[in-house]
Amino acid sequence: MSAVDLARLQFALTTSFHFLFVLLTLGLVTLLVIMQTRFTVTGAPVHERMTRFWGRIYVINYALGIVTGIVMEFQFGLNWSGLATYAGDVFGAPLALETLIAFFLESTFLGLWIFGWGKLNRWVHLALLYLTALTAYASAFWIMAANGFLQHPVGYRVEGNVLRLDDFSALLSNPTFNSALMHVIFASITVGGVFLTGVSAYHFIKRTPEVDFFRRSLRMGVITTALATPSLIGAGFAQFPIIAKFQPDKSEAAPWIGAPLGFMILIGMTLTLVSWLTLPLLIKDAVVRLRFPLYLMVIGIPLPFLAAIFGWMFREIGRQPWLVYGLLRTEEAVSHVDASQILLSLIVFTSLFVLLACVDWALIARAVRRGPDVAPAPVSPLVVTL
Amino acid sequence: METLWLVVLGTLTVGYFALAGFDYGTGLLLPFRRKDEALQRMTPFFLGNEVWLVAAIGVLFAAFPRLEGELLSGAHSVFTLVLAGLVLFMAAVQLRLWWWLAFTGALMVSVGWGLFLAHLLEAPWPVAFVMPALFAVHGWVFQNRRWTLFPLTALLCALPIPLAFSSIDVTGLMAHSDTLGLLAWVAIPIIPLVVLLQWSIVAISSR
Repeated sequence: MSAVDLARLQFALTTSFHFLFVLLTLGLVTLLVIMQTRFTVTGAPVHERMTRFWGRIYVINYALGIVTGIVMEFQFGLNWSGLATYAGDVFGAPLALETLIAFFLESTFLGLWIFGWGKLNRWVHLALLYLTALTAYASAFWIMAANGFLQHPVGYRVEGNVLRLDDFSALLSNPTFNSALMHVIFASITVGGVFLTGVSAYHFIKRTPEVDFFRRSLRMGVITTALATPSLIGAGFAQFPIIAKFQPDKSEAAPWIGAPLGFMILIGMTLTLVSWLTLPLLIKDAVVRLRFPLYLMVIGIPLPFLAAIFGWMFREIGRQPWLVYGLLRTEEAVSHVDASQILLSLIVFTSLFVLLACVDWALIARAVRRGPDVAPAPVSPLVVTL
Repeated sequence: METLWLVVLGTLTVGYFALAGFDYGTGLLLPFRRKDEALQRMTPFFLGNEVWLVAAIGVLFAAFPRLEGELLSGAHSVFTLVLAGLVLFMAAVQLRLWWWLAFTGALMVSVGWGLFLAHLLEAPWPVAFVMPALFAVHGWVFQNRRWTLFPLTALLCALPIPLAFSSIDVTGLMAHSDTLGLLAWVAIPIIPLVVLLQWSIVAISSR
Protein backbone atom coordinates (compact mmCIF):
# COMPACT_ATOMS: atom_id res chain seq x y z
CA MET A 1 0.00 0.00 0.00
CA SER A 2 1.14 3.54 -0.74
CA ALA A 3 1.65 6.22 1.92
CA VAL A 4 -1.65 7.87 1.00
CA ASP A 5 -3.61 4.61 1.31
CA LEU A 6 -2.03 3.84 4.68
CA ALA A 7 -2.67 7.36 5.95
CA ARG A 8 -6.29 7.15 4.82
CA LEU A 9 -6.77 3.80 6.50
CA GLN A 10 -5.22 5.16 9.68
CA PHE A 11 -7.46 8.23 9.61
CA ALA A 12 -10.55 6.07 9.11
CA LEU A 13 -9.64 3.79 12.01
CA THR A 14 -8.61 6.59 14.40
CA THR A 15 -11.72 8.65 13.67
CA SER A 16 -14.02 5.67 13.99
CA PHE A 17 -12.60 4.66 17.37
CA HIS A 18 -12.62 8.25 18.58
CA PHE A 19 -16.20 8.75 17.50
CA LEU A 20 -17.44 5.74 19.48
CA PHE A 21 -16.23 7.48 22.66
CA VAL A 22 -17.63 10.84 21.52
CA LEU A 23 -21.11 9.44 20.93
CA LEU A 24 -21.41 7.93 24.39
CA THR A 25 -19.89 11.01 26.05
CA LEU A 26 -22.34 13.41 24.39
CA GLY A 27 -25.31 11.11 24.90
CA LEU A 28 -24.62 10.41 28.56
CA VAL A 29 -23.83 13.99 29.52
CA THR A 30 -27.20 15.07 28.12
CA LEU A 31 -29.03 12.51 30.25
CA LEU A 32 -26.88 13.31 33.29
CA VAL A 33 -27.99 16.92 33.01
CA ILE A 34 -31.61 15.76 33.37
CA MET A 35 -30.81 13.42 36.26
CA GLN A 36 -28.79 15.91 38.26
CA THR A 37 -31.29 18.71 37.63
CA ARG A 38 -34.04 16.51 39.05
CA PHE A 39 -31.86 15.70 42.04
CA THR A 40 -30.95 19.33 42.67
CA VAL A 41 -34.55 20.48 42.41
CA THR A 42 -36.29 17.64 44.27
CA GLY A 43 -33.49 16.44 46.54
CA ALA A 44 -34.72 12.85 46.04
CA PRO A 45 -31.91 10.34 46.74
CA VAL A 46 -32.77 8.13 43.74
CA HIS A 47 -31.84 10.94 41.37
CA GLU A 48 -28.54 11.42 43.15
CA ARG A 49 -27.79 7.72 42.90
CA MET A 50 -28.68 7.77 39.23
CA THR A 51 -26.36 10.72 38.62
CA ARG A 52 -23.60 8.92 40.47
CA PHE A 53 -23.97 5.56 38.71
CA TRP A 54 -24.33 6.90 35.16
CA GLY A 55 -21.83 9.65 35.90
CA ARG A 56 -19.20 7.10 36.81
CA ILE A 57 -19.64 5.38 33.44
CA TYR A 58 -19.54 8.76 31.72
CA VAL A 59 -16.23 9.70 33.39
CA ILE A 60 -14.55 6.39 32.49
CA ASN A 61 -15.59 6.83 28.88
CA TYR A 62 -14.51 10.47 28.80
CA ALA A 63 -11.07 9.84 30.26
CA LEU A 64 -10.26 7.12 27.74
CA GLY A 65 -11.87 9.07 24.90
CA ILE A 66 -9.45 11.94 25.49
CA VAL A 67 -6.57 9.67 24.55
CA THR A 68 -8.07 8.81 21.18
CA GLY A 69 -8.76 12.52 20.67
CA ILE A 70 -5.12 13.44 21.23
CA VAL A 71 -3.99 10.96 18.58
CA MET A 72 -6.72 12.31 16.28
CA GLU A 73 -5.41 15.84 16.62
CA PHE A 74 -1.75 14.96 16.08
CA GLN A 75 -2.67 12.95 13.04
CA PHE A 76 -3.46 16.04 10.96
CA GLY A 77 0.10 17.25 11.34
CA LEU A 78 1.74 13.83 11.22
CA ASN A 79 0.11 12.40 8.12
CA TRP A 80 -1.66 15.29 6.40
CA SER A 81 0.75 18.21 6.60
CA GLY A 82 -0.46 19.37 3.17
CA LEU A 83 -3.85 20.20 4.68
CA ALA A 84 -2.43 22.64 7.23
CA THR A 85 -0.03 24.14 4.69
CA TYR A 86 -2.75 24.79 2.15
CA ALA A 87 -5.93 25.34 4.17
CA GLY A 88 -4.70 25.80 7.75
CA ASP A 89 -5.72 29.48 7.87
CA VAL A 90 -9.36 28.54 7.30
CA PHE A 91 -9.77 24.93 8.43
CA GLY A 92 -7.53 25.58 11.45
CA ALA A 93 -9.78 28.33 12.84
CA PRO A 94 -12.73 26.11 13.87
CA LEU A 95 -10.27 23.40 14.89
CA ALA A 96 -8.39 25.74 17.24
CA LEU A 97 -11.66 27.14 18.57
CA GLU A 98 -12.69 23.59 19.37
CA THR A 99 -9.53 22.88 21.34
CA LEU A 100 -9.68 26.22 23.19
CA ILE A 101 -13.36 27.03 23.80
CA ALA A 102 -14.65 23.51 23.90
CA PHE A 103 -12.19 20.80 24.87
CA PHE A 104 -9.85 22.87 27.08
CA LEU A 105 -12.80 24.23 29.09
CA GLU A 106 -14.89 21.06 28.95
CA SER A 107 -12.22 18.90 30.58
CA THR A 108 -11.58 21.52 33.22
CA PHE A 109 -15.27 21.93 34.10
CA LEU A 110 -15.57 18.16 34.20
CA GLY A 111 -12.56 17.94 36.51
CA LEU A 112 -14.18 20.42 38.87
CA TRP A 113 -17.44 18.47 38.69
CA ILE A 114 -15.63 15.22 39.57
CA PHE A 115 -13.57 16.56 42.44
CA GLY A 116 -16.25 18.96 43.63
CA TRP A 117 -18.71 16.13 44.29
CA GLY A 118 -20.11 16.62 47.80
CA LYS A 119 -17.76 19.54 48.42
CA LEU A 120 -19.46 22.30 46.48
CA ASN A 121 -22.87 23.92 46.84
CA ARG A 122 -25.20 21.63 44.89
CA TRP A 123 -26.42 24.41 42.59
CA VAL A 124 -22.82 25.32 41.77
CA HIS A 125 -22.12 21.65 41.20
CA LEU A 126 -25.11 21.41 38.86
CA ALA A 127 -23.95 24.52 37.01
CA LEU A 128 -20.60 22.79 36.40
CA LEU A 129 -22.36 19.86 34.72
CA TYR A 130 -24.36 22.28 32.57
CA LEU A 131 -21.11 23.97 31.55
CA THR A 132 -19.52 20.59 30.80
CA ALA A 133 -22.49 19.63 28.61
CA LEU A 134 -22.54 23.01 26.91
CA THR A 135 -18.84 22.88 26.07
CA ALA A 136 -19.24 19.26 24.89
CA TYR A 137 -21.87 20.45 22.41
CA ALA A 138 -19.62 23.36 21.47
CA SER A 139 -16.98 20.77 20.66
CA ALA A 140 -19.33 19.00 18.25
CA PHE A 141 -20.28 22.39 16.80
CA TRP A 142 -16.70 23.41 15.90
CA ILE A 143 -15.63 19.98 14.67
CA MET A 144 -18.65 19.78 12.39
CA ALA A 145 -17.94 23.33 11.18
CA ALA A 146 -14.42 22.19 10.27
CA ASN A 147 -15.74 19.05 8.58
CA GLY A 148 -18.42 21.07 6.77
CA PHE A 149 -15.62 23.17 5.27
CA LEU A 150 -13.92 20.05 3.89
CA GLN A 151 -17.23 18.93 2.33
CA HIS A 152 -18.08 22.31 0.84
CA PRO A 153 -15.39 24.99 1.24
CA VAL A 154 -16.75 28.49 1.88
CA GLY A 155 -15.52 31.77 3.38
CA TYR A 156 -12.03 31.61 1.86
CA ARG A 157 -9.99 33.48 -0.72
CA VAL A 158 -7.04 32.09 -2.65
CA GLU A 159 -3.78 33.97 -2.10
CA GLY A 160 -0.81 32.55 -4.01
CA ASN A 161 -0.98 28.84 -3.32
CA VAL A 162 -2.72 28.96 0.04
CA LEU A 163 -6.24 29.67 1.29
CA ARG A 164 -6.93 32.66 3.55
CA LEU A 165 -9.86 33.22 5.87
CA ASP A 166 -12.21 35.69 4.19
CA ASP A 167 -15.59 35.39 5.89
CA PHE A 168 -15.78 33.43 9.11
CA SER A 169 -19.58 33.69 9.30
CA ALA A 170 -19.81 31.79 6.00
CA LEU A 171 -18.20 28.81 7.74
CA LEU A 172 -20.98 28.87 10.32
CA SER A 173 -23.84 29.15 7.83
CA ASN A 174 -22.39 26.45 5.59
CA PRO A 175 -25.30 24.21 4.53
CA THR A 176 -23.11 21.07 4.78
CA PHE A 177 -22.47 22.00 8.44
CA ASN A 178 -25.85 22.81 9.99
CA SER A 179 -27.96 19.76 9.17
CA ALA A 180 -25.00 17.42 9.73
CA LEU A 181 -24.46 18.93 13.19
CA MET A 182 -28.08 18.27 14.13
CA HIS A 183 -27.73 14.74 12.76
CA VAL A 184 -24.67 14.10 14.92
CA ILE A 185 -26.27 15.58 18.04
CA PHE A 186 -29.42 13.49 17.74
CA ALA A 187 -27.30 10.43 16.99
CA SER A 188 -25.45 10.99 20.29
CA ILE A 189 -28.68 11.43 22.23
CA THR A 190 -29.98 8.24 20.63
CA VAL A 191 -26.80 6.44 21.72
CA GLY A 192 -27.38 7.71 25.28
CA GLY A 193 -30.99 6.51 25.21
CA VAL A 194 -30.17 3.08 23.78
CA PHE A 195 -27.29 2.67 26.23
CA LEU A 196 -29.44 3.51 29.28
CA THR A 197 -32.15 1.16 28.04
CA GLY A 198 -29.74 -1.71 27.37
CA VAL A 199 -27.84 -1.47 30.65
CA SER A 200 -31.08 -1.22 32.65
CA ALA A 201 -32.48 -4.21 30.75
CA TYR A 202 -29.33 -6.15 31.63
CA HIS A 203 -30.00 -5.51 35.32
CA PHE A 204 -33.60 -6.65 34.99
CA ILE A 205 -32.41 -9.83 33.24
CA LYS A 206 -30.13 -10.38 36.27
CA ARG A 207 -33.21 -9.82 38.49
CA THR A 208 -31.80 -6.74 40.15
CA PRO A 209 -33.14 -5.75 43.58
CA GLU A 210 -32.78 -2.11 42.45
CA VAL A 211 -36.17 -2.16 40.72
CA ASP A 212 -37.07 1.50 41.17
CA PHE A 213 -33.61 2.68 40.10
CA PHE A 214 -33.52 0.69 36.87
CA ARG A 215 -37.20 1.19 36.08
CA ARG A 216 -36.57 4.92 36.03
CA SER A 217 -33.39 4.50 33.98
CA LEU A 218 -35.10 2.19 31.50
CA ARG A 219 -38.02 4.55 31.04
CA MET A 220 -35.68 7.45 30.56
CA GLY A 221 -33.73 5.45 27.98
CA VAL A 222 -36.76 4.37 25.96
CA ILE A 223 -38.38 7.81 26.01
CA THR A 224 -35.11 9.49 25.03
CA THR A 225 -34.67 7.10 22.10
CA ALA A 226 -38.28 7.56 20.97
CA LEU A 227 -37.96 11.35 21.09
CA ALA A 228 -34.50 11.59 19.50
CA THR A 229 -34.84 9.15 16.60
CA PRO A 230 -37.48 11.04 14.54
CA SER A 231 -35.31 14.20 14.64
CA LEU A 232 -32.24 12.08 13.89
CA ILE A 233 -33.88 10.70 10.77
CA GLY A 234 -35.25 14.12 9.83
CA ALA A 235 -31.81 15.72 10.06
CA GLY A 236 -30.42 12.78 8.06
CA PHE A 237 -32.82 13.09 5.16
CA ALA A 238 -32.48 16.88 5.19
CA GLN A 239 -28.93 16.34 3.97
CA PHE A 240 -29.83 14.65 0.69
CA PRO A 241 -30.86 17.85 -1.16
CA ILE A 242 -27.68 19.53 0.12
CA ILE A 243 -25.52 16.64 -1.08
CA ALA A 244 -27.34 16.66 -4.44
CA LYS A 245 -26.50 20.35 -4.80
CA PHE A 246 -22.88 20.46 -3.60
CA GLN A 247 -21.53 16.92 -4.05
CA PRO A 248 -23.66 15.50 -6.88
CA ASP A 249 -21.37 12.51 -7.48
CA LYS A 250 -21.08 11.49 -3.81
CA SER A 251 -22.84 8.16 -4.39
CA GLU A 252 -20.38 7.28 -7.17
CA ALA A 253 -17.23 7.77 -5.08
CA ALA A 254 -17.03 4.00 -4.56
CA PRO A 255 -19.17 1.26 -6.08
CA TRP A 256 -20.23 -0.06 -2.66
CA ILE A 257 -20.81 3.29 -0.93
CA GLY A 258 -24.58 2.80 -0.94
CA ALA A 259 -24.28 -0.18 1.41
CA PRO A 260 -23.18 1.62 4.62
CA LEU A 261 -25.72 4.35 3.91
CA GLY A 262 -28.44 1.75 3.55
CA PHE A 263 -27.46 -0.04 6.76
CA MET A 264 -27.40 3.24 8.66
CA ILE A 265 -30.91 4.14 7.49
CA LEU A 266 -32.13 0.65 8.31
CA ILE A 267 -30.76 0.86 11.87
CA GLY A 268 -32.25 4.34 12.35
CA MET A 269 -35.69 3.20 11.18
CA THR A 270 -35.53 0.07 13.36
CA LEU A 271 -34.62 2.04 16.48
CA THR A 272 -37.45 4.51 15.85
CA LEU A 273 -40.00 1.77 15.30
CA VAL A 274 -38.90 -0.37 18.24
CA SER A 275 -38.67 2.52 20.70
CA TRP A 276 -42.19 3.73 19.80
CA LEU A 277 -43.54 0.16 20.08
CA THR A 278 -41.92 -0.09 23.52
CA LEU A 279 -43.52 3.11 24.84
CA PRO A 280 -46.96 1.53 25.61
CA LEU A 281 -45.17 -1.45 27.15
CA LEU A 282 -43.70 0.86 29.80
CA ILE A 283 -47.15 0.96 31.42
CA LYS A 284 -47.15 -1.21 34.53
CA ASP A 285 -43.67 -2.47 33.60
CA ALA A 286 -45.08 -4.82 30.95
CA VAL A 287 -41.73 -4.71 29.16
CA VAL A 288 -39.96 -6.09 32.23
CA ARG A 289 -42.52 -8.79 32.88
CA LEU A 290 -42.49 -9.95 29.25
CA ARG A 291 -38.70 -10.42 29.58
CA PHE A 292 -37.85 -11.15 25.92
CA PRO A 293 -37.75 -7.42 25.00
CA LEU A 294 -35.05 -7.04 27.65
CA TYR A 295 -32.72 -9.30 25.68
CA LEU A 296 -33.36 -7.31 22.50
CA MET A 297 -32.49 -4.12 24.40
CA VAL A 298 -29.10 -5.51 25.43
CA ILE A 299 -28.39 -6.75 21.91
CA GLY A 300 -29.40 -3.32 20.61
CA ILE A 301 -26.63 -1.41 22.43
CA PRO A 302 -24.07 -1.59 19.56
CA LEU A 303 -26.59 -0.68 16.82
CA PRO A 304 -26.50 3.13 17.00
CA PHE A 305 -22.69 3.01 17.24
CA LEU A 306 -22.55 0.92 14.08
CA ALA A 307 -24.99 3.23 12.31
CA ALA A 308 -22.81 6.24 13.15
CA ILE A 309 -19.70 4.59 11.69
CA PHE A 310 -21.64 3.71 8.53
CA GLY A 311 -22.84 7.30 8.29
CA TRP A 312 -19.32 8.69 8.56
CA MET A 313 -18.08 6.21 5.96
CA PHE A 314 -20.64 7.56 3.50
CA ARG A 315 -19.84 11.18 4.31
CA GLU A 316 -16.05 10.85 4.20
CA ILE A 317 -15.48 8.26 1.47
CA GLY A 318 -18.12 10.04 -0.58
CA ARG A 319 -15.92 13.16 -0.57
CA GLN A 320 -13.08 11.39 -2.34
CA PRO A 321 -10.87 12.00 -4.27
CA TRP A 322 -10.97 15.39 -2.58
CA LEU A 323 -9.74 16.30 0.88
CA VAL A 324 -11.06 19.85 0.57
CA TYR A 325 -13.85 19.38 -1.96
CA GLY A 326 -12.93 20.77 -5.35
CA LEU A 327 -9.74 22.42 -4.05
CA LEU A 328 -7.26 19.94 -2.58
CA ARG A 329 -6.89 16.32 -3.61
CA THR A 330 -6.29 13.75 -0.90
CA GLU A 331 -3.01 12.52 -2.40
CA GLU A 332 -1.66 16.09 -2.56
CA ALA A 333 -2.17 16.60 1.17
CA VAL A 334 -0.33 13.58 2.50
CA SER A 335 2.91 14.33 4.40
CA HIS A 336 6.26 13.69 2.78
CA VAL A 337 7.10 10.78 4.98
CA ASP A 338 8.10 7.26 4.20
CA ALA A 339 5.20 4.79 3.86
CA SER A 340 6.98 2.56 6.39
CA GLN A 341 6.71 5.27 9.06
CA ILE A 342 2.98 5.57 8.48
CA LEU A 343 2.67 1.80 8.52
CA LEU A 344 4.47 1.67 11.87
CA SER A 345 2.18 4.27 13.42
CA LEU A 346 -0.85 2.57 11.84
CA ILE A 347 0.04 -0.75 13.47
CA VAL A 348 0.93 0.85 16.82
CA PHE A 349 -2.18 3.02 17.09
CA THR A 350 -4.62 0.47 15.78
CA SER A 351 -3.50 -2.15 18.28
CA LEU A 352 -3.49 0.40 21.10
CA PHE A 353 -6.96 1.62 20.18
CA VAL A 354 -8.32 -1.90 20.10
CA LEU A 355 -6.80 -2.29 23.56
CA LEU A 356 -8.30 1.01 24.66
CA ALA A 357 -11.77 0.08 23.39
CA CYS A 358 -11.46 -3.21 25.31
CA VAL A 359 -10.35 -1.37 28.46
CA ASP A 360 -13.26 1.04 28.09
CA TRP A 361 -15.64 -1.86 27.62
CA ALA A 362 -14.15 -3.78 30.56
CA LEU A 363 -14.24 -0.80 32.93
CA ILE A 364 -17.78 0.17 31.94
CA ALA A 365 -18.91 -3.47 32.25
CA ARG A 366 -17.33 -3.58 35.72
CA ALA A 367 -19.10 -0.39 36.76
CA VAL A 368 -22.36 -1.68 35.26
CA ARG A 369 -22.14 -5.08 36.99
CA ARG A 370 -21.30 -3.47 40.30
CA GLY A 371 -24.57 -1.57 40.08
CA PRO A 372 -25.50 1.67 41.83
CA ASP A 373 -23.90 2.96 45.01
CA VAL A 374 -21.87 -0.04 46.14
CA ALA A 375 -18.34 0.86 45.18
CA PRO A 376 -15.91 -0.61 47.70
CA ALA A 377 -13.04 -0.39 45.21
CA PRO A 378 -12.89 2.44 42.68
CA VAL A 379 -13.05 1.49 39.02
CA SER A 380 -10.63 4.20 38.03
CA PRO A 381 -8.66 6.84 39.92
CA LEU A 382 -10.79 9.59 38.45
CA VAL A 383 -13.99 8.09 39.77
CA VAL A 384 -12.73 7.49 43.30
CA THR A 385 -14.43 10.67 44.29
CA LEU A 386 -17.70 9.91 42.53
CA MET B 1 0.37 39.89 16.51
CA GLU B 2 3.28 37.57 15.76
CA THR B 3 4.74 38.03 19.26
CA LEU B 4 1.34 37.53 20.84
CA TRP B 5 0.92 34.11 19.24
CA LEU B 6 4.45 33.07 20.12
CA VAL B 7 3.59 33.97 23.72
CA VAL B 8 0.31 32.02 23.58
CA LEU B 9 2.01 28.97 22.12
CA GLY B 10 4.85 29.30 24.62
CA THR B 11 2.43 29.56 27.56
CA LEU B 12 0.50 26.47 26.49
CA THR B 13 3.67 24.45 25.94
CA VAL B 14 5.15 25.58 29.25
CA GLY B 15 1.82 24.71 30.92
CA TYR B 16 1.90 21.21 29.49
CA PHE B 17 5.48 20.41 30.42
CA ALA B 18 5.28 21.99 33.87
CA LEU B 19 2.20 19.89 34.67
CA ALA B 20 3.52 16.81 32.89
CA GLY B 21 6.23 16.36 35.51
CA PHE B 22 3.62 15.38 38.10
CA ASP B 23 2.24 12.38 36.38
CA TYR B 24 5.01 11.21 34.05
CA GLY B 25 7.44 11.85 36.91
CA THR B 26 5.28 9.83 39.26
CA GLY B 27 5.03 7.11 36.60
CA LEU B 28 8.82 6.97 36.24
CA LEU B 29 9.28 6.65 40.00
CA LEU B 30 6.65 3.94 40.41
CA PRO B 31 9.14 1.04 40.70
CA PHE B 32 10.72 2.74 43.70
CA ARG B 33 7.65 3.87 45.60
CA ARG B 34 4.46 2.68 47.23
CA LYS B 35 2.29 2.46 44.13
CA ASP B 36 -1.13 3.21 45.58
CA GLU B 37 0.00 6.20 47.57
CA ALA B 38 1.99 7.67 44.68
CA LEU B 39 -0.92 7.29 42.24
CA GLN B 40 -3.38 8.66 44.78
CA ARG B 41 -1.34 11.82 45.19
CA MET B 42 -1.25 12.31 41.43
CA THR B 43 -5.00 11.86 40.89
CA PRO B 44 -6.17 15.50 40.87
CA PHE B 45 -3.49 16.30 38.30
CA PHE B 46 -4.18 13.30 36.08
CA LEU B 47 -5.31 14.46 32.60
CA GLY B 48 -4.67 18.04 33.75
CA ASN B 49 -1.60 18.33 31.53
CA GLU B 50 -2.98 16.64 28.43
CA VAL B 51 -5.55 19.39 27.95
CA TRP B 52 -2.66 21.86 27.65
CA LEU B 53 -1.03 19.66 25.04
CA VAL B 54 -4.23 19.47 23.00
CA ALA B 55 -4.66 23.25 23.21
CA ALA B 56 -1.03 23.80 22.19
CA ILE B 57 -1.34 21.60 19.10
CA GLY B 58 -4.64 23.30 18.21
CA VAL B 59 -2.95 26.72 18.34
CA LEU B 60 0.04 25.39 16.43
CA PHE B 61 -2.30 24.19 13.67
CA ALA B 62 -4.33 27.38 13.32
CA ALA B 63 -1.73 30.06 14.03
CA PHE B 64 1.35 28.36 12.55
CA PRO B 65 -0.19 26.18 9.82
CA ARG B 66 2.96 26.00 7.72
CA LEU B 67 5.06 25.00 10.71
CA GLU B 68 2.70 22.44 12.30
CA GLY B 69 2.71 19.87 9.52
CA GLU B 70 6.43 20.06 8.86
CA LEU B 71 7.28 19.92 12.56
CA LEU B 72 5.09 16.92 13.32
CA SER B 73 5.63 14.93 10.14
CA GLY B 74 9.37 15.71 10.35
CA ALA B 75 9.53 13.70 13.57
CA HIS B 76 6.89 11.14 12.66
CA SER B 77 8.25 8.15 14.54
CA VAL B 78 9.17 10.22 17.60
CA PHE B 79 5.56 11.32 17.92
CA THR B 80 4.38 7.76 17.36
CA LEU B 81 6.46 6.89 20.44
CA VAL B 82 5.13 9.85 22.48
CA LEU B 83 1.52 9.14 21.60
CA ALA B 84 1.79 5.39 22.13
CA GLY B 85 3.32 6.13 25.54
CA LEU B 86 0.49 8.52 26.33
CA VAL B 87 -2.14 5.95 25.42
CA LEU B 88 -0.46 3.25 27.50
CA PHE B 89 0.15 5.51 30.48
CA MET B 90 -3.38 6.84 30.62
CA ALA B 91 -5.00 3.45 30.11
CA ALA B 92 -2.73 1.82 32.70
CA VAL B 93 -3.35 4.49 35.33
CA GLN B 94 -7.08 4.21 34.71
CA LEU B 95 -6.98 0.46 35.13
CA ARG B 96 -4.67 0.52 38.13
CA LEU B 97 -3.77 -3.05 37.45
CA TRP B 98 -0.29 -3.07 36.07
CA TRP B 99 2.01 -0.46 37.56
CA TRP B 100 4.79 -1.54 35.18
CA LEU B 101 2.60 -0.57 32.23
CA ALA B 102 2.14 2.92 33.68
CA PHE B 103 5.93 3.04 34.16
CA THR B 104 6.57 1.91 30.57
CA GLY B 105 4.07 4.45 29.25
CA ALA B 106 5.65 7.29 31.23
CA LEU B 107 9.11 6.22 30.05
CA MET B 108 8.01 6.15 26.41
CA VAL B 109 6.43 9.62 26.63
CA SER B 110 9.40 11.21 28.36
CA VAL B 111 12.05 9.57 26.16
CA GLY B 112 9.89 10.58 23.18
CA TRP B 113 9.92 14.22 24.24
CA GLY B 114 13.65 13.90 24.83
CA LEU B 115 14.13 12.61 21.28
CA PHE B 116 12.03 15.51 20.01
CA LEU B 117 14.29 17.91 21.91
CA ALA B 118 17.36 16.27 20.36
CA HIS B 119 15.67 16.52 16.95
CA LEU B 120 14.95 20.25 17.40
CA LEU B 121 18.50 20.98 18.59
CA GLU B 122 20.03 18.60 16.02
CA ALA B 123 21.84 17.14 19.01
CA PRO B 124 23.03 13.53 19.39
CA TRP B 125 20.42 11.07 20.70
CA PRO B 126 21.73 10.75 24.30
CA VAL B 127 20.31 14.26 24.83
CA ALA B 128 16.96 12.44 24.84
CA PHE B 129 17.59 11.30 28.42
CA VAL B 130 17.43 14.90 29.65
CA MET B 131 13.64 14.85 29.65
CA PRO B 132 13.03 11.63 31.62
CA ALA B 133 15.67 12.76 34.12
CA LEU B 134 13.98 16.13 34.61
CA PHE B 135 10.52 14.57 34.86
CA ALA B 136 11.75 12.06 37.42
CA VAL B 137 13.34 14.79 39.55
CA HIS B 138 10.17 16.86 39.36
CA GLY B 139 8.07 13.81 40.21
CA TRP B 140 10.31 13.16 43.21
CA VAL B 141 9.99 16.75 44.43
CA PHE B 142 6.22 16.53 43.99
CA GLN B 143 5.86 13.15 45.72
CA ASN B 144 8.04 14.22 48.65
CA ARG B 145 6.31 17.58 48.95
CA ARG B 146 9.50 19.59 48.70
CA TRP B 147 7.52 22.70 47.85
CA THR B 148 10.51 25.08 47.98
CA LEU B 149 12.18 23.19 45.14
CA PHE B 150 8.91 22.75 43.31
CA PRO B 151 8.84 25.92 41.13
CA LEU B 152 12.45 25.30 40.14
CA THR B 153 11.94 21.74 38.92
CA ALA B 154 8.65 22.70 37.26
CA LEU B 155 10.54 25.35 35.32
CA LEU B 156 13.31 22.92 34.44
CA CYS B 157 10.74 20.53 32.95
CA ALA B 158 8.89 23.31 31.19
CA LEU B 159 11.69 25.19 29.49
CA PRO B 160 13.86 22.91 27.30
CA ILE B 161 11.36 22.32 24.49
CA PRO B 162 9.96 25.90 24.26
CA LEU B 163 13.56 27.18 24.29
CA ALA B 164 14.54 24.77 21.53
CA PHE B 165 11.50 26.03 19.61
CA SER B 166 12.77 29.58 19.79
CA SER B 167 15.54 28.67 17.34
CA ILE B 168 12.87 28.28 14.61
CA ASP B 169 12.29 31.30 12.42
CA VAL B 170 8.51 31.58 12.02
CA THR B 171 8.41 34.27 9.33
CA GLY B 172 6.11 33.14 6.55
CA LEU B 173 4.95 30.12 8.53
CA MET B 174 2.18 31.90 10.41
CA ALA B 175 -1.46 32.29 9.45
CA HIS B 176 -2.77 35.54 7.98
CA SER B 177 -3.69 38.24 10.48
CA ASP B 178 -7.37 37.72 9.58
CA THR B 179 -7.23 34.29 11.22
CA LEU B 180 -4.95 35.38 14.06
CA GLY B 181 -7.12 38.35 14.98
CA LEU B 182 -10.22 36.20 15.21
CA LEU B 183 -8.55 33.59 17.40
CA ALA B 184 -6.91 36.13 19.70
CA TRP B 185 -10.31 37.08 21.13
CA VAL B 186 -10.72 33.52 22.28
CA ALA B 187 -7.23 32.49 23.32
CA ILE B 188 -6.43 35.43 25.58
CA PRO B 189 -9.34 35.16 28.06
CA ILE B 190 -9.41 31.36 28.07
CA ILE B 191 -5.89 30.62 29.27
CA PRO B 192 -6.20 32.51 32.61
CA LEU B 193 -9.67 31.01 33.07
CA VAL B 194 -8.33 27.48 32.72
CA VAL B 195 -5.46 28.24 35.12
CA LEU B 196 -7.98 29.48 37.67
CA LEU B 197 -10.26 26.46 37.21
CA GLN B 198 -7.42 23.93 37.39
CA TRP B 199 -6.14 25.60 40.52
CA SER B 200 -9.65 25.27 41.99
CA ILE B 201 -9.63 21.53 41.20
CA VAL B 202 -6.43 21.09 43.20
CA ALA B 203 -7.70 23.33 46.01
CA ILE B 204 -11.00 21.45 46.25
CA SER B 205 -9.56 17.97 46.09
CA SER B 206 -7.06 18.70 48.86
CA ARG B 207 -9.86 19.92 51.14
